[in-house]
Amino acid sequence: MPEPAPGRTRASAPGQTSARGREPLDGAREFIDELVGDRAADWDRDGLLPDDVLRALAGRGLLCAQVPAAHGGPGASSAANGAFTAYVGSRCSSLRSVMTSHGMAAWTIQRLGSAEQHAAYLPKLAGGRLAAVAFSEPEAGSDLSAIGTTIEPDGDGVVLNGQKTWTTAAHYADLIVVVGRYGSGAAAAVVPASAPGVTVERVPRPSGCRAAGHAHVRLDGVRLPASAVLGGGQPLMLLVTTALAYGRLSVAWGCAGILRACLGAAAEHARTRHQFGKPLAAHQLVGRHLANLLTAERTVTRMCEHASGCWDSGSPDMVMATVLAKQVGAVQAAQGAATAVQVLGSAAAHEGHVVERAYRDAKLMELIEGSTEICQLILADHAVSGAAV
Amino acid sequence: MSVETTITTERIEQRITAFVTGRVKTEVPPEQDLFATGLVSSMFAMELVVQLEQDFAVQILGNDLKRDNFRSIEAMTALVSRLRDTEPSADA
Repeated sequence: MPEPAPGRTRASAPGQTSARGREPLDGAREFIDELVGDRAADWDRDGLLPDDVLRALAGRGLLCAQVPAAHGGPGASSAANGAFTAYVGSRCSSLRSVMTSHGMAAWTIQRLGSAEQHAAYLPKLAGGRLAAVAFSEPEAGSDLSAIGTTIEPDGDGVVLNGQKTWTTAAHYADLIVVVGRYGSGAAAAVVPASAPGVTVERVPRPSGCRAAGHAHVRLDGVRLPASAVLGGGQPLMLLVTTALAYGRLSVAWGCAGILRACLGAAAEHARTRHQFGKPLAAHQLVGRHLANLLTAERTVTRMCEHASGCWDSGSPDMVMATVLAKQVGAVQAAQGAATAVQVLGSAAAHEGHVVERAYRDAKLMELIEGSTEICQLILADHAVSGAAV
Repeated sequence: MSVETTITTERIEQRITAFVTGRVKTEVPPEQDLFATGLVSSMFAMELVVQLEQDFAVQILGNDLKRDNFRSIEAMTALVSRLRDTEPSADA
């Protein structure tokens, strides 16, 4: 029997067991608790995730949990992977950000790759190798139609030239999925980070998700076998839209996690800190902040659940539901983190506090995987098309 | 399972037409170029991919995602027919 189509994970819908004989993500949260502990602030300050932590997660397939069991992955549904992504995001946005990039690389291979490529790459990504996906370039940020990186036939292989910027997790990656021009359309190529002609240079001190391993990737005449090329000849923007969809939903779930962390910290502080003879929470202006945080966290979670439900049922509504979840998630997380900073005051106004990290990390979520404004343009187009009502 | 094991080309075309027409809120002849007429954005193209996969129990991967396969209802009908012929048990 052929594997289920990507985007549908009927074989491992919630409540069913995977080929491994238990719930796909059983014990994953406890594993995260054990791995992260209270070290997220240190990782943020150092700008580095420990290699053993990443390898441990990658080895269990938890960085790309929707890879089907047939390819050695956990075979989780979008809903289950999303809930797990939010949990990781509530603990450490840098780690969640690595999950997003790695998961997007796996998704791109699932979506664009042939059966042979699935068999060649997916078990690696679900079994300990680390991956990243590279879209942005110095002259192609929001306007990805301006991508200039080329993937050109060369003998019985291809050669890549170009420059990618702000590639999340590229510092850690063994494999980098690079989107480029190919013939009259586009393709993605799976590039080993160790291939001759590949230069990975870290972004120095990023403002958020500081340990996510953002890097600039230069490709100077990188030669690869033709079997490393995924798809080929698709319209560039269809390819980009397809690949980005996974990342957008992953970011949205990550934002739900950021809000959960902020709500927890703000509620705890407002309950225990007393001023003017009563707990902060008893001051109505503070109470409103808490209400807004709770509203934001619940709203974003529901949006994400809806989008994941569309993915799991194979509904075409997944496309716009994903953009909507990303848009609501990022905007609400940025606002919510600022609110939490306000509630905690000087208690959180130091480097590494969960709320201080959230404030920096959440703002980044409004910039990546389609900025707030790009998402608004997509939503406006959808409204104008008449399809929304 | 909502998908009949056998389905005629006419029926495939009817169902794709119903989805496209419902989505763009206008009558779309089978041969009309959806890209040239500006009816299809990259977001809508992705919706079409997911809709065809779900409605006809096929997988549209890799090279089959090329634009020509989605250029018109006619082209999508041909794609679905071909995929159903080569993968008759894709949803079994």
